[in-house]
Amino acid sequence: MTLPTPPPDKTSDRAMSRRSFLRGSAAVGGLTALAASLSPLRELSDFTSTDQFLQKYYKELTPDDMTKVINRIEGDVQRQYGIRPHVRDLKPMDGVEFVYCLNLTRCIGCRKCVHACVAENNQSRNPEIQYIRVLKLPHGSLDLEKADHHYAPESVPEKGFFYMPVQCQQCKNPPCVKVCPVNATWQESDGITVIDYDWCIGCRYCEAACPYFARRFNFAKPEIPKDNINPNMAYLGNRPRKMGVMEKCHFCIQRTRVGRYPACLEVCPVGARKFGNILDPESEVSYILREKRVFIQLKEEIGTSPRFFYYFDK
Amino acid sequence: MISVARNYLVFLGRCARVAFVGDWRYYAWMGLLTACCLFGLNAYCQQLVHGLASTGMSDEVSWGVYIANFTFLVGVAAAAVMMVIPVYIYGNEEMHDLVIFGELLAVAAICMCLAFVTVDLGRPDRFWHLIPGIGQMNFPASMLSWDVIVLNGYLLLNVYICGYLLYCRYQKKKPSKWFYIPFVFVAIVWAISIHTVTAFLYVGLGGRPFWNSAIVGPRFLASAFTAGPALIILALQVVRRVTASAHPAGHARESGENSVTAPREAHLGDLELLAHHLPELASVPLEDRQKSLIGATVWEVAKGDILLRQGATDDGAFFVLSGRVVVEREEGGRTRITRSAGPGDQFGEVSALTGTPRVATATAEEHTVVLRLSAVALRALMQSPKMNEIVHSRMSERLMITDRGLLMLRGIVQVSMLINVFLLANEVFKEFYSGNLHVASAKYLFIGLHGHYALVPWIWTAIALNLIAMTLLVLPLSRSLKWLNVACVLCIIGIWIEKGMGLVLPGFTPTPLGAIVEYTPSLNETLICLGIWAMGLLLYTIFLRMAVPILQGRLSKDNEGKAGDRRLETGISLQESSA
Repeated sequence: MTLPTPPPDKTSDRAMSRRSFLRGSAAVGGLTALAASLSPLRELSDFTSTDQFLQKYYKELTPDDMTKVINRIEGDVQRQYGIRPHVRDLKPMDGVEFVYCLNLTRCIGCRKCVHACVAENNQSRNPEIQYIRVLKLPHGSLDLEKADHHYAPESVPEKGFFYMPVQCQQCKNPPCVKVCPVNATWQESDGITVIDYDWCIGCRYCEAACPYFARRFNFAKPEIPKDNINPNMAYLGNRPRKMGVMEKCHFCIQRTRVGRYPACLEVCPVGARKFGNILDPESEVSYILREKRVFIQLKEEIGTSPRFFYYFDK
Repeated sequence: MISVARNYLVFLGRCARVAFVGDWRYYAWMGLLTACCLFGLNAYCQQLVHGLASTGMSDEVSWGVYIANFTFLVGVAAAAVMMVIPVYIYGNEEMHDLVIFGELLAVAAICMCLAFVTVDLGRPDRFWHLIPGIGQMNFPASMLSWDVIVLNGYLLLNVYICGYLLYCRYQKKKPSKWFYIPFVFVAIVWAISIHTVTAFLYVGLGGRPFWNSAIVGPRFLASAFTAGPALIILALQVVRRVTASAHPAGHARESGENSVTAPREAHLGDLELLAHHLPELASVPLEDRQKSLIGATVWEVAKGDILLRQGATDDGAFFVLSGRVVVEREEGGRTRITRSAGPGDQFGEVSALTGTPRVATATAEEHTVVLRLSAVALRALMQSPKMNEIVHSRMSERLMITDRGLLMLRGIVQVSMLINVFLLANEVFKEFYSGNLHVASAKYLFIGLHGHYALVPWIWTAIALNLIAMTLLVLPLSRSLKWLNVACVLCIIGIWIEKGMGLVLPGFTPTPLGAIVEYTPSLNETLICLGIWAMGLLLYTIFLRMAVPILQGRLSKDNEGKAGDRRLETGISLQESSA
């Protein structure tokens, strides 16, 4: 039989030191590469504070917590925009359910509502975020695929077309609320679907679920010029949002919950927009829904049951 | 209790060390993957700073390649565990070890899924809002909360099953059925659930007609059972290749055949020594033990001596009394270690029991003493139920990736691909024949809509790849591994396109208000995807690196003290280590 060849000698000291040198340099190289790949984080401005990180869910905040949080938000806004805002945590009023009615015969597609909304609700100007999308549709069709989103004629209205502004429909059966994995969005008793901007994780599932393209995501850090800030703010409404969270139309909660009209209604030059409490039989919206023969709930077949009604005069 | 914990820690420590040992090819591969991971991490840091604006996504197309990859990988993870069915339900022994490779793939795939979801979040710092108890989980209303539960549960299940089976193999203990069979069955049901729930994420959205279709769930499963096993077929061949050495078995020791130093007759003392390592032997009555010694011999051999040779037609069975023997099998000019036998272990029992020629070559790895029993004697010992059980369970413990096992997987891929293409045809028919308003998304995908054609070349590529793969799989041609591999690669790419981008993007296009906004992933986004894929491959490589020597018996509790010889542990073949 052949004897097996003896194994190589026990590792010599030199080989050992060479090995530990190689190992050491691999470790140093690896750590350097790791540090280099993490380096963009140095630019991370306004790092989330511990208070912000640990902030509780809206419905679990005690009044004391809420006061602290509001103070912090007011301080943050003042630091960032140089103006002390008035942030309120407005609750829904009893016996109120808001409904919006929009007269398609009157709307001329001027987009004044779009811009009033941006100004009122402290929406980012860069990148641009708008809650209202006005569609230009040819007469006789409600096929949204025929809609022109980017019409820009010399003057409106154009012959042969009608205009349909679309914003959050404040559904009675909102798909966005159902799909949110963390309950960051919910429907309040006055029918407004709100978002806790400090609870949203930014998964954008609600955006995929919304049949009305009503939700907007802060893909980048919102930018608002300092002198354009609206200091009259609501916690669940128009306070400035952060990067990475959802937002949407909330029927101007900061106005409507203290008895004022939404900004889009006030600015409308032709009176196409009507807003009010459907539980009050004397309200304008109750009258419209009682008396007008034709009104449309957009995509009624999906079963979302919007609180936003489109109607025609003739 | 403390010693149990200590043993487990030693096991983990040795596994971890193994992951850092290998030849230059291993280091190069791991280095490449690590570099890709770091590029991905760098890109993700950029995204954290600049927001998701650094991706190609928009309010119109609010999910992109992240969620597309996520969807594909959930399918891979689900399908990887479905391999379990032929093994446990039909008792197919060929696939026994394949199950562990499948479950490890599931673990790696789920880790990638979780990474893809995380990078898609706008506020990853708020992940804790999802945790029940401290956060708010919208369960059961939100399908996404279901997904969080099923994915994490699935991860834990598979980590547990793989960990338990490998640890038992490491200790050379027979896994207790109660500790894993119930979990295996839960995992099978769970595997279907993870993919169904992921399909329901889309199906549940009434406002997106392209997704709001009952056939999406079945399509998901069919495509998963195509792509998952296809991926495993390829991965197993890689494992088979890298655990084999290029030389035929025994090449270095051609002249060493039958080089045994004076075999002597065995006596009862030898059996007692064996019983010390193999307690089951004690269950054999003394009388039977004495009988089994008829014709039994004890061989004392030196390192490198060959004890039996593949293809030979002798019929003795061997038990190791001391030392260690490596069993290698030659296939197609390459040698693969199928197991490593230490004191108390058997080898050569297959030929002894079946009378077939030797299926592998056994070589002493060190100075070794073995007991050789005649075939009759082995059968006599196996009259004892305990001996019968232990010998049989060890027979199935060989790391064998046989062509038959791979062809079994081919059957799964074949049937699933046919169903997948059939379901796709159903979907296309429903969309285009009825021609209602909701056909817009399908038009955008298949033929382009109002001058927008971004997805058209992709989907037709996918359909072509799927059809070619299907044809190959149906033809007998794909019984050869070469063509089977081609078919597997084609169907993985085809399904990745069809189910990833081909499912996610058309759902968003046109938007619910009829606008068409096209999406193209940004460079940064692509780098992040690349990084996550590299991370997944890195994890899978590490898992295999640890599992293979354990399955081969080279990394086991009985060689704990001899951890010095790393090359032995890591399964680099004997020829290479002694050369």
